[in-house]
Amino acid sequence: MTDQFTQHLSEQIQQAISEKRQLQVAGSQSKVPLALDVEEVSMRDHAGIVAYEPSELVVTVKAGTKLTDLSAALAERNQMLAFEPPNYGDSTIGGTYGCALTGPSRPFRGVLRDFVLGTKMVDGRGQALTFGGQMIKNVAGYDVSRMMAGSKGSMAVITELSLKVMPLVEEVTYCIEMPEDDAIQLMNKMAGTTLPLSACAYFEGRFFYRVFGEHPKQNATPCDNQIWLTVNPFQPKLDDNQTLWRVDTEGPAPSIPNTLAVGMCGQRRWVISDTEPALYATQWQSYFAPRDRDPAPVAKIKKGLKNVFDPHHVFTTL
Amino acid sequence: MNVIQELKQAFQSGSVLSDTEQCTPYECDGLSAYREKPMAVVLPDSIEGVKTALRICKKHQVPVITRGSGTGLAGGALPLKDGIVLGLSKMNKILNVDPLARTAVLQPGVRNISVSQAVEPYGLYYAPDPSSQVACSIGGNVAENSGGVHCLKYGLTVHNVLSITVVDMDGHVSVMDEKDDGIDLLALMNGSEGLLGVIVEVKVKLLPKPDTAQLVMAGFDSVSCCADAVTCVLEQGIIPAGLEMMDRFSIKAAEEYAHVGYPLDAEALLLCEVDGSFDQVKVDTQRITALLQKNGATTIRVSQNEAERIALWQGRKNAFPAVGRFSPDYYCMDGTIPRKQLAFVLEQIDHLSQKYQLEVANVFHAGDGNLHPLILYDANKPDELEQTEKFGSEILKLCLDVGGTITGEHGVGVEKLDSMCHQFPEAELEIFHAIKAVFDDSGLLNPGKAIPTLHRCAEVGQMHVHNNNLPFPELERF
Repeated sequence: MTDQFTQHLSEQIQQAISEKRQLQVAGSQSKVPLALDVEEVSMRDHAGIVAYEPSELVVTVKAGTKLTDLSAALAERNQMLAFEPPNYGDSTIGGTYGCALTGPSRPFRGVLRDFVLGTKMVDGRGQALTFGGQMIKNVAGYDVSRMMAGSKGSMAVITELSLKVMPLVEEVTYCIEMPEDDAIQLMNKMAGTTLPLSACAYFEGRFFYRVFGEHPKQNATPCDNQIWLTVNPFQPKLDDNQTLWRVDTEGPAPSIPNTLAVGMCGQRRWVISDTEPALYATQWQSYFAPRDRDPAPVAKIKKGLKNVFDPHHVFTTL
Repeated sequence: MNVIQELKQAFQSGSVLSDTEQCTPYECDGLSAYREKPMAVVLPDSIEGVKTALRICKKHQVPVITRGSGTGLAGGALPLKDGIVLGLSKMNKILNVDPLARTAVLQPGVRNISVSQAVEPYGLYYAPDPSSQVACSIGGNVAENSGGVHCLKYGLTVHNVLSITVVDMDGHVSVMDEKDDGIDLLALMNGSEGLLGVIVEVKVKLLPKPDTAQLVMAGFDSVSCCADAVTCVLEQGIIPAGLEMMDRFSIKAAEEYAHVGYPLDAEALLLCEVDGSFDQVKVDTQRITALLQKNGATTIRVSQNEAERIALWQGRKNAFPAVGRFSPDYYCMDGTIPRKQLAFVLEQIDHLSQKYQLEVANVFHAGDGNLHPLILYDANKPDELEQTEKFGSEILKLCLDVGGTITGEHGVGVEKLDSMCHQFPEAELEIFHAIKAVFDDSGLLNPGKAIPTLHRCAEVGQMHVHNNNLPFPELERF
């Protein structure tokens, strides 16, 4: 049984295949603008909560739902998206999933795909598919729903997502002035203790950490929770000739020259550099541009999987 | 040379077993109702060894069944008569522990519990704790995406693995890391039941050990009352570390076995554990106690010390062997259901129990909806295993009908192939087969497991059309 929107998508996809046009899935275009030579699959109006069971800790939502709307609905029942997705301005849950974006809570609560329980999608043949479900535990079949987090619309149009939600907690932020390397060490040491941390960062000479629930008195300056919106999404003002890199690394790794911000217990660094600074570095301005740097066996697998879902290459690859 | 001769030439003596007697210990996994002796067993002790074994098997087109400790409950490591078992038990070293980064790098044969034991001096532990944790291997945990009692709060295996190294049938080695861009291959490999590659190294996340834990035990005079109490706890924003429910039969069996003071007059028992800092645990315990009281708990007991907490868990942790004492054999099911459907599902299971004349005890991971009905049977009685499997299959259909799934944490293996036909339509199954072909075009890795053929489903489908009775037509399907 398919709904009207799925039916419409299916027809759009089949028509594009027959007319040899490429499709780009787009939500609010807050992260990726529409390319010039492609047709848009617009998800903007496919919005709203399909089902929400606070006591089952599960929400099912249409992919075009704005993060702000979803978070507000969850907050009404004292719940939240624990992966703290960055909002680039009207960002949708579908776009956030497509780009697999997680916020500062990552080391403590996990990444976006950890909270994905199920998806509905229309693949590159125009075929409606369902993977996973609304259950927190489910190991029937390959975990396609989690696999596609980060696929940037290149394999299928995700129409619906079921997500695990968590209780909202009271959080307070503290900060201490210190050198960057000391902060990186300290945040990792603290993360190995039972202090209930939910975020750590280093920004403009200060080490920031966020604590939730009952916790001992801290020998640090209380500060505004606003700092977490400053680093998530991290959008610093850059000069024209500056290139910003997102570097994902081991938490305790030493500081990298010209770092603007350290997040996620040191696992994420925002670095200004003319050349690629490390293995897991991404030139941020072109994060959403196609890249080709996987080792051969992995590249072959990814290409193969793309072909499984989109054999006609009707979807753009980012 | 045939495949066994070639393997024997490539490996040291003792690393390739081909005598019937030597292969016997490998003829089944935790699902012992299914048995098959493999052609041979290869026990490599390095990644190079795995690559060699796979290349030789590929050359001879011989199927490979990868095996960790063989504790799986769905027959995922069941050998094939004309296949090789690739046992990874010799690859059992902890390669690196980084206490500051809170990570450990492990060979696949490392036992689950030995990770936590090794990192205890740093105040750390590895969170996923399947009930077989003293024996099961980390490689098997990844292949099955194993859960455990604490996974509502701390997640399944997929949430606690940072990176894996995988070898394919051609001997190519790939690293799949949480930090990779694009398609999440690491997530896909978790729970892929040995069909997509051989996992030869695993990097896991370690967590700080909580300061303390406290257990609240509560009896209720109805299952629905107990389920409502759980709902209330979760709605109030408390995520307990453990949240276990038992039905009347399980309570009785566990109490007779472990003598821990479970209330024998209760219809349902809830064990609710909170952990964390001393302050948080104190606050949470008080709140939970009040909520359970408000929701009609007939008895409440709060553990006053570590010894009492562990003692109270003993009944639940031994629930399977305790129930097992009532019968020569038992069959453990693994469906998941929305908690709000629990009372209805247990009622239906009770009806099925009468229909099949087989007793059932139910234990339930109440936080995440994972139901483990234990069907008691006697394999020596003619047809009783077959009846038990039919009963089990009906329970799984019931789980699907209320919006759940056929397996929460045990996997599909060979056991639930028919039930997979009920859970997934043809298009999704075709996609699964295509995914397998991308990783393993020769189809030699654990063939015939986890994903049923369309032909098989057609036969299963015909069987149900013949019966022509859709269960619970009054239910909304979702």
